[in-house]
Amino acid sequence: MMISEGIENIDIHMPNDAYDTRKDMPTFNTYLAVIVKNSEGNIIKVHRQKSHSPTTNFIALLLPVNYYTSTNSSITITGLAGASYNYQPAFSNNGYDITYPNDGNSYYSYLLEIDVGSGTQSNPLTATNLASPIANGSGAGQLVYGAVSVSSSITINGSSAYFYISQTFNNQSGSAITITEVGIVTKISIYNIYVDAYEGIFTLLTWYDVLSSPVSIPNGGSATIRYIFEVNP
Amino acid sequence: MIVTPNVASEEDIDKLIMPDDLPNEQPTFKAYIEAKVFGKEGHIIQYYRQPMKSLTQYFLALMSIPLLGTYQNASTNQATGILTNILGLPNQLTNVAFGATIAWNWSIQLGSGTQTFSPSLNKLAAPIANGSGAGQLVYGAVSISYSGSSISISVTVTNNTSGGITVTEIGLTCTLGLFYSGNSSNTYNYLLSYDTFSQPITISAGASATFQITLSFSG
Repeated sequence: MMISEGIENIDIHMPNDAYDTRKDMPTFNTYLAVIVKNSEGNIIKVHRQKSHSPTTNFIALLLPVNYYTSTNSSITITGLAGASYNYQPAFSNNGYDITYPNDGNSYYSYLLEIDVGSGTQSNPLTATNLASPIANGSGAGQLVYGAVSVSSSITINGSSAYFYISQTFNNQSGSAITITEVGIVTKISIYNIYVDAYEGIFTLLTWYDVLSSPVSIPNGGSATIRYIFEVNP
Repeated sequence: MIVTPNVASEEDIDKLIMPDDLPNEQPTFKAYIEAKVFGKEGHIIQYYRQPMKSLTQYFLALMSIPLLGTYQNASTNQATGILTNILGLPNQLTNVAFGATIAWNWSIQLGSGTQTFSPSLNKLAAPIANGSGAGQLVYGAVSISYSGSSISISVTVTNNTSGGITVTEIGLTCTLGLFYSGNSSNTYNYLLSYDTFSQPITISAGASATFQITLSFSG
């Protein structure tokens, strides 16, 4: 009997035909736009680019429980101010998991805001805060942060589907302000219902991008940041 | 007074944001599917790989949780519209003694059919059940690994039937649980991705195959 041998030297890394060749569109894309208006309210610039960068916080929260249980490991999530937590959820009532709306307690998990900054950093995956956040206010070098808004649902268009996150920043500082970095900040509460143990609420940078070119907001003007997350674009 | 005209109208903004004309930028995400088919003796006899094509709206809704959380905002004790409208989760769990939490598992489902993709697709055309009966495959434990911004999910299936079984479709699946009040829970099942293989994969009687899906954010 002839027994076939194992095929040797199989390339188990990312195959060449899985790279973006412009022939096969990637199945997921995120777009980032900055719409700048002058003091008269006219749109003077639309900056747009592909967004690339989930942070480790995002990956940790997206990973399924069976990753954590099968590896018996945790991933450290780190807040803006440096507070960290070894996240290890479980698929049971006895897990330390993300909270869900209910009438028994008020440990909220929610989108806080989009943050903007004037710095850059080279490894977005390990970013836990913007390099140089621009504070909320009307003082020198500050921007007035508007309320963040989110799609109420997912919009389907043929085979593609998307949702967006949007927020407007007003410049009342007295001079132009340049933004170079953008991030999404999420508040996540971790709770164990079985033992009624609240681990705390963590303010997490979950997505981060350096703008492909700086964007200047004139005094009296505004900038609206819009992220769009889309499958099958 | 000269007033600067808009460089774009508000109505055009969404079209401008989702363009086809940013070809030279790195894509946000890449995903691919691999299959290794083993003979009875355990040798690899076939190897397939192809780009993943089709994530569903349920994947998008699930990945909204790390970004948006589960509550609408800091003062509204209601779930986000994406969770209620797309995943069909309740606005709020009521009569809860302490609180409520959410968590999910992932798996891989194989099938022997084909169907046209739509973002709201929630099952394979002809799922291959777990078992040793005719047309069934024994699914091993799901293995999940993570490195940097890449996540790989794999499962090995064994054909314990007396005939060959052909796999033509694959999906990444999710079981999501809401946990509350003592030992109570609700579970929900979703299809996160759907792809058909560029060529059918046959697993002979007594043989096995490992299927792997890799999701890679560009970082």
